[in-house]
Amino acid sequence: MSMDLSKISEKLISGDVEGLKQMTEETLQTDVNPGDILNQGLLPGMDTVGQRWKDGDMFMPEVLRCAKAMSGAMDILRPQLAEGDLGNAGTMIIGTVAGDLHDIGKDLAAMMFEGAGYQVINIGIDQPNENFVKAVKEHKPSLLGMSALLTTTMPRMGEVINSLKESGIRDQVAVIIGGAPVTEEFAEEIGADLYAPNAGSAVDIAKEHFEKKST
Amino acid sequence: MINNRTNYTIQESPHFEIFSEDQKEQIFNGMMRTLQYTGANVHHEGAREVFKKAGCKIDGIRVYFPPEVILKALSTVPPVTEVFPWDGDESKKIVVEKKRSYFGPGPTPPNFIDTETLERRPYLRKDASLVARVCDALPNMGYVQSLGSISDVTNGLADVYEFADMVRNTTTPIMSWSFTREGCRDIHRMGIAMAGGEEAFRARPNYIFYGEPISPLVSDFHAIDKCIYCAENRIPQVYSPCAIGGGTVPATHAGQLVVALSESMVGVIAAQLINPGTCVIIGGVQSILDMRFSIYSYGAPELSLLSAALTEVVHYCGLPMYSTSGCTDTKKMDVQSAMEASLSINAAMMSGANFVHDNGYTESGLTGDIFQTVMDDEIISMARVVERGVEVNEETMAVEQINNVGPGGHYLYEDHTMKWFRSHWMPSLMDRNSYESWEEQGRKTMKDRVLEKTRDLINNYEGPRDKVPGKADEEIKRILQEAEERIKKEEPKKQA
Repeated sequence: MSMDLSKISEKLISGDVEGLKQMTEETLQTDVNPGDILNQGLLPGMDTVGQRWKDGDMFMPEVLRCAKAMSGAMDILRPQLAEGDLGNAGTMIIGTVAGDLHDIGKDLAAMMFEGAGYQVINIGIDQPNENFVKAVKEHKPSLLGMSALLTTTMPRMGEVINSLKESGIRDQVAVIIGGAPVTEEFAEEIGADLYAPNAGSAVDIAKEHFEKKST
Repeated sequence: MINNRTNYTIQESPHFEIFSEDQKEQIFNGMMRTLQYTGANVHHEGAREVFKKAGCKIDGIRVYFPPEVILKALSTVPPVTEVFPWDGDESKKIVVEKKRSYFGPGPTPPNFIDTETLERRPYLRKDASLVARVCDALPNMGYVQSLGSISDVTNGLADVYEFADMVRNTTTPIMSWSFTREGCRDIHRMGIAMAGGEEAFRARPNYIFYGEPISPLVSDFHAIDKCIYCAENRIPQVYSPCAIGGGTVPATHAGQLVVALSESMVGVIAAQLINPGTCVIIGGVQSILDMRFSIYSYGAPELSLLSAALTEVVHYCGLPMYSTSGCTDTKKMDVQSAMEASLSINAAMMSGANFVHDNGYTESGLTGDIFQTVMDDEIISMARVVERGVEVNEETMAVEQINNVGPGGHYLYEDHTMKWFRSHWMPSLMDRNSYESWEEQGRKTMKDRVLEKTRDLINNYEGPRDKVPGKADEEIKRILQEAEERIKKEEPKKQA
């Protein structure tokens, strides 16, 4: 039986969180391949959302609603997916470094990554360096995101990278950093792989990085 | 002449109002409801103890403030506080009271527009004294902030170095900030050194301290810790958030005002409980989150509206207002920044906010641009003309002179004109030249003129550096040295 998976895209674009969950579940009951739900339904939906956002046709709260819908659908879909279905969108650890209680930027980024199909483990604010290392060891993510809003806490991000090196796991994970005072130069200086000037651009920057790596 | 008018009403300056008394009360009550039923997180055990003793309900880090605690705190805020320039120059004295406005730059952007290359780069130590010196010379900067966070000193001491360098380069009262209580104390010691002793400082405080809770409704440890220190030592202080409409607070303006007011009120209550009568200024940056670019807009017209609206509610509470103007979302001083600054400066001026900061912020608060500050200085002086209003009396109506000159004459020879024409505003940057002279003088744009004026001040205005008493200078150097030692001791602790 073939099914029109564009309905899933439409549901996603409308930001209907509960509706999309239900539709994903119902579709799974049919003989549609879970990988097709992802690749022909959800991801094209998110691509449209991304495009419309760039065109100034959709705005942050709407995009986040779509990302949440995507994330809810992914929770249902993920156990059913075959190896490789997800492409580069793997697991991501994200958190705000020790001494810093600011979380809005970090949370926005987390939601955007969820929207791109990542399984995001948000370890929260004011996280000591060792918690980042521990989370990387435990979850083996493809991406580690760190954020800081204070110039005093920015150096903690470099310390985390050093701790990853000392633990011999630096090469396992791409490190992306952000936060209002953080700059590209600073990211380079502390040896981060990627820098995102804002939450909205982080997903594209990561995507580009992984695409380059895999070619 | 005897003034024989009776039952006569005088209104000379514009009356600008957004809210009625009823609406102000409604927002005030919204704050009371929020603090009572939602409460605020206070990451400070000592502060929570103080709140608990005063009758607040505590649940973990959450503090719920009953109305009587809030009202009691508001009953002890001072109606007027004075801040004094360290050299005793009465013309630069600040009187913190309703309907007096002082404009200044803002604190802590990471970047600065280099005054030579005009390129954005990290803020450096040398910029702090430059900003202080330029602002010292600008007649419309009523107080001074640094426009940056120093990147080239020991990490964690940007605050202390900034104050040390600025206070010796301007007599205009500074609004300082710090990372922690320790930095706050170092700055206090420097203020005391400049005042000539602890008693002298208490009688004539010479700076204001700036602290910031995190929106929504969070007072982190250091914010409230510094607030307590300032209250204990009677240092006039700001306790105000950056509320982001649609992000950290509701997208509706009234909702934003309720949350912003509640966040600040936590600091007011703490300070008044610790030391009743100490000066706390509230308000903060009030603007919206741009939902296309997810940036906090410093040029949005909503910033002007929200700031003026909050000013009314803050004054309703009997508190002084820390407002915002002269800032922009564009990257460097340009036409956009002039448009945005003109609107926000005029709105802040009309609203009667007490301290109006961020004059010289570009890139949505991420860059300090002293050229923008210099241009803002001119805009502020223009807005003051409107605010000064129109004086109406026999002398200013000049009916007699009108009769003397009669129809078809002119006023250029009149004594009355000689007496009064100098009260007209005179531009220092605006071009009113004829086309020919403008061409002759090199077809200069506003940008050219701002650059010229700013660089002239940088190169030729010396500021008060030579007037700093030798003893105070030595004491400041000693405090800096001790701060370096303190950080060395703190660093290993942080690592552990």
